Amino acid sequence: MEKFKKYIKELFESGEIEGFLGIRKNGLHPVPHLFTPEHPEELETLTIPDVRYPMTEILLTIVRKYPDKKLGIMVRGCDERALNELVKNQKILPELIKHIGIACSADLAASCRCAQPYPEEIHYGEKVAPVEDRSDIEAIDTMPQEERFDYWMSEFSKCIKCYGCRNICSMCFCDQCTLEDNDLIATGQAPPAIPIFHLIRAFHMAGRCIDCGLCEEACPAHIPLRTLYRKVRESMSGFLGYVSGTEGGEKDPLEFLGSEGYMVPSKIDEK
Amino acid sequence: MEYRTVLTTCTYCGTGCGLLLEVMDGEVVGVLPAKTHPINEGKLCIKGWNAHEFIYADGRLTKPLVRKGDTLEEASWDEALETIANKFAEIKKTNGPDSLGCFSSAKCTNEENYLLQKIFRAAIGTNNVDHCARL
Amino acid sequence: MTNSVPEFEDADCILITGSNTTSSHPLIASRIMKAKEKGAKIIVVDPRKMHIASLADIYVAQNLGSDVAWINGLMRIILQEGWENASFIKERTEGFEELKKAVAEYTPEKVEEITGIPKETLKEIAKIYATSEKSSIVYCMGITQHATGTDNVKSLANLAMLTGQIGRPSTGVNPLRGQNNVQGSTDLAAIPNVYPGYQPVTDDAIREKFEKAWGVPLSPDPGLTVVEMINAVEEGKLKGLFVLGENPLVSDPDSNHVEKALDAIDFLVVQDIFMTETARKADVVLPGASFAEKDGTYTGTDRRLQKIRKAVEPPDEAKADWDVLCRVGKAVGGKGFEFASPEEVFREIAEVMPIYHGITYDRIEKEIIHWPCRSEDDPGSPYLHKDGFAKGKGHFTPIGYKPPVELPDKEYPYQLTTGRLPFHYHTGTMTRVSPSLTHEVNEAFIEVHPTNAFEIGVKNSQVVRLTSRRGSVNAKVIITNDVKKGVVFMPFHFAEAAANRLTIAALDPIAKIPEYKVCAVNIEKIEESEA
Ligand code: SF4
Ligand code: SF4
Repeated sequence: MEKFKKYIKELFESGEIEGFLGIRKNGLHPVPHLFTPEHPEELETLTIPDVRYPMTEILLTIVRKYPDKKLGIMVRGCDERALNELVKNQKILPELIKHIGIACSADLAASCRCAQPYPEEIHYGEKVAPVEDRSDIEAIDTMPQEERFDYWMSEFSKCIKCYGCRNICSMCFCDQCTLEDNDLIATGQAPPAIPIFHLIRAFHMAGRCIDCGLCEEACPAHIPLRTLYRKVRESMSGFLGYVSGTEGGEKDPLEFLGSEGYMVPSKIDEK
Repeated sequence: MEYRTVLTTCTYCGTGCGLLLEVMDGEVVGVLPAKTHPINEGKLCIKGWNAHEFIYADGRLTKPLVRKGDTLEEASWDEALETIANKFAEIKKTNGPDSLGCFSSAKCTNEENYLLQKIFRAAIGTNNVDHCARL
Repeated sequence: MTNSVPEFEDADCILITGSNTTSSHPLIASRIMKAKEKGAKIIVVDPRKMHIASLADIYVAQNLGSDVAWINGLMRIILQEGWENASFIKERTEGFEELKKAVAEYTPEKVEEITGIPKETLKEIAKIYATSEKSSIVYCMGITQHATGTDNVKSLANLAMLTGQIGRPSTGVNPLRGQNNVQGSTDLAAIPNVYPGYQPVTDDAIREKFEKAWGVPLSPDPGLTVVEMINAVEEGKLKGLFVLGENPLVSDPDSNHVEKALDAIDFLVVQDIFMTETARKADVVLPGASFAEKDGTYTGTDRRLQKIRKAVEPPDEAKADWDVLCRVGKAVGGKGFEFASPEEVFREIAEVMPIYHGITYDRIEKEIIHWPCRSEDDPGSPYLHKDGFAKGKGHFTPIGYKPPVELPDKEYPYQLTTGRLPFHYHTGTMTRVSPSLTHEVNEAFIEVHPTNAFEIGVKNSQVVRLTSRRGSVNAKVIITNDVKKGVVFMPFHFAEAAANRLTIAALDPIAKIPEYKVCAVNIEKIEESEA
């Protein structure tokens, strides 16, 4: 840990980064914090707990106000996948964001069922084995169709419309959220119109969701949201060969459809 | 460039969820659920998620006001406190301490509730102290 | 609450009545959903079919104000079937014989007639509640906001004691507190008859203790409640009022009456963060701070002490409320208001209040403490009555059913009940300026059963006028099966169509809680031009 703190301090001193988004210990509670060169003493409280906050979502909040700052961010495997998507969607400039990699503990990887519990470059922690676990999807895939529908409807009916799943998601970076479109989803109702509320979000997660599972952790109704989005994610890789969160030029295929992609083809009647 | 989070307790219902106020350059810009809080364990309801919004709403009271005829006019703290002291003293003198009373607040802190009831019980001398919790 | 929030998760049965849990206490509803996942049976008894009702294993709607009857009915069945906890009754309670006599007349047939609950359902509920290993009762304003509120609460306590479903983890009788610090403000004696920590003002020894602590002689006479103070203004007995962070003009029953009183009063001081309807009537307005702008503690619904922490400065000349109150205390000539921080105030609190005695700011930084916590090495009490009841034995109170004060009649044929929405809070002072919340709902409405809507001749979204003996308001109609025939529901968050212009100030004789949950109203369609 001391080595890690020293490393951050050096990055401050060399001017490579002007701030480091990490986690600070506040009494018993680890909380997100932007460490800055102006207050190097705060690094004493730096901690790397087995608790995840939506670091990339917070990064976006900071970048919106300070688009030109060079920032370091503590990244786990999931955060790195999120950053890759944000770069592809032109929400952040990769040259300004320095990944400071953390390998997750075996405990955390297990509780997250994480297929990639470490980022590319590791500055803290030891790589542990990925967890390959599709049991949640399999359980639902084997249900007869009708039962499957009932299952999801009964899960969705618990929703209290807190928007927590969206609020915590770093892939929900749109300026206007479809979930708040009065024409699609009536306002003022909890549960919101089902299954439309949850399906709209699921569609929007296709090609975007990086399978971090923060939504499910934030859901007061304990809806297995991650399973839903994982399924959507699998369909994307199965049908279109796209895995969101990977690095590089490859883009979300649904983006190529553009806005016209959602229109009804004009010749449809003639067919 | 400042971004920090302050652990606090939701101000809406009595469940008392733990939340983090996200502070950027001296302004609260958002809320995150406290992941390690034993009550809400990283979850919030819609009120909690938006508990910061009302802070900056129009119409916050920013200065003491004292009634002059039909209107409430801005006043200094000294003037406002003096007006209270004089009026309360006058009422107490002519009608006794039980002609004064207070509604304390289920939204305010324990310390504030303690102070207000102490003002009425100890400084004014009446037990006319209640709050709207029944409501 | 006799038990703490996380304990719900491990209950085997949760009986919810008069609580719109997903709306008013969503994160408690979250625990209840978890309990259900783990196999608990969820029972909801409520006149309105709310979200939590749709998640229940058993849901039944009772007639408004008939709670004592169905609870007595449950107890009769339990006794008849031998499902009571005989050893608990013998060792830990008294007054059992009287209770037995009192519930004897509540036959399932009679109960069905009064409450509308089918006898088979009542029996099923009795069986699940009594015979589950750990059963927990959850209730809220739907139980307390009645002229018989105290009776209702005591009946639930009878039920829990009869079956021994109290004094263990994941059991108990658990009132959910509406506002964030109702528990704390009550603990801190923002009530007329006690000093902080429920120590009676009428008890000489206790009064002497406080006279010594505060260094002044104190009044031995219990004071007036909110509703009584309003009445005292009208009678010319109360001349000056200090209102801290409340908006009684919208929150209190029969608000026309409150408005008259506030207009008539000689001197009104309001300390708040917004220019509320009440503040507009004040002679002096003091600007306070929001929860993000000050330090202090709240006590949650399960007696858990928690800190709030200052994140930013109050706007302009506004000040933290504890600071304002110290200044007011000094200005009116009080002694002992020289506090430099909320922590110093808290130290004095812990000194005079045995149930908080072992609590310090340092400790609540590091651990979760539920009062009573009597010394520094006392870990606190997540659940109460572990080794018996505070007052010795648990006392059964025989209670008979009394109908609501105002029943529907020819002139006012519908029953109005009021409540909360998930998107707003109390009188809306804070939530109605919050864009994310007003996006969801920002106007008053009234829920009407389809049959009644047909009778009145209104369609969805049309505006109607509701009239009671006390006033009238207009609101948009929502037609729904969620309310019973003859019952209409209206949320009370909207000052411009304040449900409390209609409600009745009939008080429970002991708790002095007004009967918000039932009054009689008439509904008329208004023509477009009028609306
Ligand atoms: S987090 Fe869960 S309860 Fe909240 S809106 Fe999303 S699905 Fe609904
Ligand atoms: S977040 Fe919601 S449930 Fe939690 S305390 Fe706030 S209002 Fe209550």
